Amino acid sequence: MAAAAEAVSAATQAVAPAAAGTTTDAVTAASQVAHTGLALAFDKLEYSVMVPLVYLSLAFLLVALVVRIVKILNSPPPPYQLALYPARKRPWMAALGESLGMPQILKRSPALWVALLVFHLGFLLLILGHLDILGSINLVPPASRDMLGAGGVGLMVTLSAFYFMGRRFKGSYRQISIPSDYLLLLLLLFTFLLGDLISWGNSWTASGFVMTKQDFAKYFDGLAAFTFADPRAILHGSHYHMVVLHVVLAELIFLVLPFSKIMHAFLALPINAVRRRVWTHS
Amino acid sequence: MDTQLSRDLKRLFETRLNSAMKMYLETCTRCGNCLDSCHVGASIPEIKYTAVGRAEVIRKVFRRYFKMQGSFAPWLGEVLEFDDGTLERIYEAAYSCTGCRRCMVHCPFGIDTQQLMSIAKALLIGADKEPKLLSMLSDMSIAKGEGIEETKASYAEAITNLEADVLALWPTAAEAEGAFSRPMPLEAKGADLLYVGLAGAHSIVPAAAIMNAAKERWSLSFFEAVNFGAFVGDSRKMKAIAQRIIDEAIGLGVKEVAIVECGTAFRVMRHFMGKQPFKVIAFVELIDRYLSQGRITLDKSKITEKVTYHDPCQIARNGGVIEEPRRVLRALTEYFVELRPTKEENWCCGGGGGLVAMGEMEFRMKSSKVKAEQMRASKAAIITTACENCHSQLSDLNEHYALGMKVEFLSHLVAKALVRPGQSYRL
Repeated sequence: MAAAAEAVSAATQAVAPAAAGTTTDAVTAASQVAHTGLALAFDKLEYSVMVPLVYLSLAFLLVALVVRIVKILNSPPPPYQLALYPARKRPWMAALGESLGMPQILKRSPALWVALLVFHLGFLLLILGHLDILGSINLVPPASRDMLGAGGVGLMVTLSAFYFMGRRFKGSYRQISIPSDYLLLLLLLFTFLLGDLISWGNSWTASGFVMTKQDFAKYFDGLAAFTFADPRAILHGSHYHMVVLHVVLAELIFLVLPFSKIMHAFLALPINAVRRRVWTHS
Repeated sequence: MDTQLSRDLKRLFETRLNSAMKMYLETCTRCGNCLDSCHVGASIPEIKYTAVGRAEVIRKVFRRYFKMQGSFAPWLGEVLEFDDGTLERIYEAAYSCTGCRRCMVHCPFGIDTQQLMSIAKALLIGADKEPKLLSMLSDMSIAKGEGIEETKASYAEAITNLEADVLALWPTAAEAEGAFSRPMPLEAKGADLLYVGLAGAHSIVPAAAIMNAAKERWSLSFFEAVNFGAFVGDSRKMKAIAQRIIDEAIGLGVKEVAIVECGTAFRVMRHFMGKQPFKVIAFVELIDRYLSQGRITLDKSKITEKVTYHDPCQIARNGGVIEEPRRVLRALTEYFVELRPTKEENWCCGGGGGLVAMGEMEFRMKSSKVKAEQMRASKAAIITTACENCHSQLSDLNEHYALGMKVEFLSHLVAKALVRPGQSYRL
């Protein structure tokens, strides 16, 4: 702890004579002071979260997803037709339309449909936005300081997730909900909120952005190149801990996803196809 | 509950885990879009009577025995272990569901609650807790198949006694001579069609008159179409019961098997028994064909009141016969009106899944309040349908809720409106 205090003091001293705009240098200086004891252990923990665990959780996600989907789809087929009528001319197209457009929900609960649409679109944009951080993908101009949507995408998923959570506490919806429904939503909500805070927090500092898209690009490129470099050298300032927390929660999502109801994202098409496929003679 | 039974039930559950079933168990997001889909839940607003409420009972058992959380964090999914209380919940879920699959129409994923309830019914059989009446009726049907040769003569005699009733509706047999010269041919070699009725003259006589009017080369089955094996959720018995009819049809070499107005029997034969060397049709499809081919003509002047049609779930949204009865009704009357909601959205009558056979009058009436309201709102004088179960349930509802309607089989209305040679009529 004493070492950390010294580091901050050093940083403060470094800031003092500096002109405006040198705050980042000061923070960098603080970041570069060697930690010991608990601070060192914390550094190592943060490093584990930011680098090796990213690989492990992603690998786990991919393997578990493939194994689970293959196991489900490779189970014996239903012994007889389970279609619902009237039959559709193009069953697979109908199933695709139902999986993506959710017409059943649009018809019966338009407000939920809007929230679901905003959430799912937002989620897709969120994935795209994170991929866009990679130096090789440039949906948003590389020079831009913002991620895709400049915070708007985060708002889309956060607000809709709040709506889903609020709905879970209402009458019959509360009765059909189970603890894992709330926990999963909480996990998503906290991940989104941290993402929002990182995004908005960057803009709120007196000197503007502390961590820019370019900084995150260096971190992501490092991950993609398996350099195992410590991201702390790139991502400066106290926001870093929020980034670590954001990544921890994302890793948790990767770990639970294959065993959660988020599997509906992958099973919606085949399950809808069961409803639409007519294969007995008529 | 002893450990061995618990293990056996788990194994039984496992045998039901085909790919569709796994998706039904894994995919539900509890969005609640099905909360008011079920007629029971809409009539008795309790979660246990909603589609998701029923399905969750099975999912909770699934999570306990087939998911990791069942071992390390059972509270996450509110899992259920096999015990007497759980079996009671399973029974209540299974036998408050008529298997109408209206919830499947509203589910964004198409989760089939009837399939999930088939797990429930299998577990109840495994625990010896199924409704014994349904099991007994299934066994009787199978036994009848095994000893059919001994009962053929008495059945033929009973059928002969009904010939006058058939001739009263239509004055001739299908052909003047040969195998089809009797009003109700039995074991008629060279028949194109095997008609499978129920245990009751009402299911045979009007159908016979219609087929004779159309000059169909048909033969009457010795078996009744009803499949109690399907009601009790015993797939082995269900197949054994249907197989009797399949063997009979193959023996006669017919091209088609027409199933009496019975939804479950039709769906089992058409959709559950695999490809057969003959085609399976619902009787209402046959009437529709006769009309379109000009083989029968109907007198529109016979019905002068508003008529509505109740789509039997297993024939319409689960069987694919939706437009045919409407074409028949338009040929029959100018006063046909639709129920609202209708077709695949129609409310279940509340008598399916074995409930009518089991009695359960109080529950059937309470749980079908929404159906009675729908019937009343149609302002029709006659409600017609094409299913024995539905007919019984609609009749009970009509009486219980004092709806003042007439409940009719579609085939009966058609038989009464057949235009005889030389008769004047209105098209």
